[in-house]
Amino acid sequence: MPTSKPGIKKLYALSSENKRFCFPQPLKHSIRIGKREYEVKLKSDDKYGTYILWKNRKYPVEVVSSRQNRYEILFNDISYTFTVETPFSMQRMKVINAARGKTEKETLKAPMPGKIIDVLVREGSNVLRGEPLVILEAMKMQNEIQSPVNGQIIKVLAKPNSNVMKDDILVEIKVE
Amino acid sequence: MKIKRILIANRGEIAVRIIKTAHKMNIETVAVRTSVEPNAMFLSQADVVYDNTEDTSEIPVFLNIEKLIEIAVKTKSDAVHPGYGFLAENAYFAQKCIDNKIVFIGPSPDAIYKIGNKTVARKIAQATGIPMAMGSEGNISDEEEAVSIAEKIGYPVIIKAASGGGGRGMRIVRKPEEMEKMFIIASKEAEKAFNDPSVFIEKYIENPKHIEFQILGDTKGNIIHLGERECSIQRKHQKLLEEAPSGALSEKLRKTMGRIAVQIASAVNYYSAGTVEFLLDSDKNFYFMEMNTRIQVEHPVTEIVTGIDLIEQQIRIAMGEALKYRQEDIKLKGWAIECRINAEDVQAGFAPDPGKIEKLHLPSDSWVRIDTGVQAGSAIVPSYDSMIAKLIVKGKDRKDALKNCKLALDKVWIKGTKTTLPFFRMLVRNPKFIDGDFTTAFIEKDLEKNYNSSEYEEMLAAWLATKLFIEENFTDKSINDDNEKGKEMSPWLLNKRINQF
Repeated sequence: MPTSKPGIKKLYALSSENKRFCFPQPLKHSIRIGKREYEVKLKSDDKYGTYILWKNRKYPVEVVSSRQNRYEILFNDISYTFTVETPFSMQRMKVINAARGKTEKETLKAPMPGKIIDVLVREGSNVLRGEPLVILEAMKMQNEIQSPVNGQIIKVLAKPNSNVMKDDILVEIKVE
Repeated sequence: MKIKRILIANRGEIAVRIIKTAHKMNIETVAVRTSVEPNAMFLSQADVVYDNTEDTSEIPVFLNIEKLIEIAVKTKSDAVHPGYGFLAENAYFAQKCIDNKIVFIGPSPDAIYKIGNKTVARKIAQATGIPMAMGSEGNISDEEEAVSIAEKIGYPVIIKAASGGGGRGMRIVRKPEEMEKMFIIASKEAEKAFNDPSVFIEKYIENPKHIEFQILGDTKGNIIHLGERECSIQRKHQKLLEEAPSGALSEKLRKTMGRIAVQIASAVNYYSAGTVEFLLDSDKNFYFMEMNTRIQVEHPVTEIVTGIDLIEQQIRIAMGEALKYRQEDIKLKGWAIECRINAEDVQAGFAPDPGKIEKLHLPSDSWVRIDTGVQAGSAIVPSYDSMIAKLIVKGKDRKDALKNCKLALDKVWIKGTKTTLPFFRMLVRNPKFIDGDFTTAFIEKDLEKNYNSSEYEEMLAAWLATKLFIEENFTDKSINDDNEKGKEMSPWLLNKRINQF
């Protein structure tokens, strides 16, 4: 199976914290640490499922989600999200971001599936960071969903007694 | 009187745990099969399985008193073990069992009611001179009363459910303005969880340690304690890691607190296993918090340091036997640590992450004990708790136990859901935790992150993301046409695709 594309010599994986990892394309099955190259093996068997073998140790890996160029990877039980960019798309992204400026709308999403017990704000309410906005019940626990920012509520989508899925938008806030 | 057959009014790991001791004692067990988890592990270990999968009732059978009594009668069970949660601390259920000539493996309905209701318990403790945080005399009726009491005892205060437990129905209030909102939340949560909206108020002790004492009492009036458990590592008042003993207690303080724990239990003529919970402040003042009238999730750490099987003691006491142990027979030996491996997303504030356990490998070293109710292929369902397994390790002292804990955690291999493993792997390497310098506020205040990841691990994850990107975009034939529907796809489909590489 050909896994190279002419013209693209490297690829970048950008973490959600904006850390940049650069890999040669075609991809090598080894990673250099200092002066040494260490072999990376992606394997799978019935006993362990999918894992990466690195420096004689097995690490469980999983692809939790993949959407276009965005991947959530579970590595050794810790989740990492990356967007993979080519040098070209990376350049384009920089231009777009510069033009758009900073986003000023914050959407509050359900962190887990559950039932909305109460909505404590309405459209137009001013809220402070850390203020509880919605009470979500999941697995017998009532969870306060707090505002991540100071701002004003512009839209309330959560309805009391309704069920929500993970990542459903509950509230939209204009950041102040 | 001899118990011949026990109906287990519970599920999961505690059902497995009860079956294990019952079999050791040559007692038969009855388990209940539900439609929610018809293939649960505990069912395969019971002698008799009652099929309740046809039950379409909204209430889980483990909360349905009439139904459980009916099952006990039908299956000719002469005793019921309630485990923890569900009806374990329901006085009415205990009474119903007795009325139907079924032994309730637990304390008397009277003791459950008195000590289980926190406002009643407070009154009893007050009358017997037990140290306690200041608070309301009884239940409070509205937020105005709450505000006026809070003014008297000083903020911060904590609102607690009178019938509560397990951290539900509890809210901390730091300012009068927050009272109304918090009062409503606590009361609603209490009604939902315990069918009783009544709440009371207590002075909130800042940054305490949570120390609890294991109690055993028989029906002859003998009551002893089995030492303490350190349960300060909690989030949202839910315990994550427990130890026995606690490094915070001197032998003298252990004696004093143990004596008072026994005194509280004696005040309600307590029998069976129970737990008296205290808060210990930084000046080593302790305050009675509540008593739990059941076997606790964290009971194994006590079993390890005392060598006493608590489920066996519960059964023997229920059969009317006198305690074989006197207080002076109880010697704590070594150190035990329990990690609750739950299906939770540590990186999303410990949000539950239910799902199917695809692979499960747990260490089997001699210094490890595993209590679990799942195996590969089992599902962690949203309707029950998120427990996968309790990893319990022992050592000759705390340092040794921590070293073993570190080793054991690296041997655990779970695929299918996110788990609390990254949290524990970080915790056992945290200098403050290693030094014993932690309180119930540790997770919220002392930790910047609930997990640790090394640079290399992140790099390897990035490598994998890049590999996937290449496979999906640069190969002649896209591996799957349903790539576009990525969001709806199960990770396990993606998993299969990796296997094709």
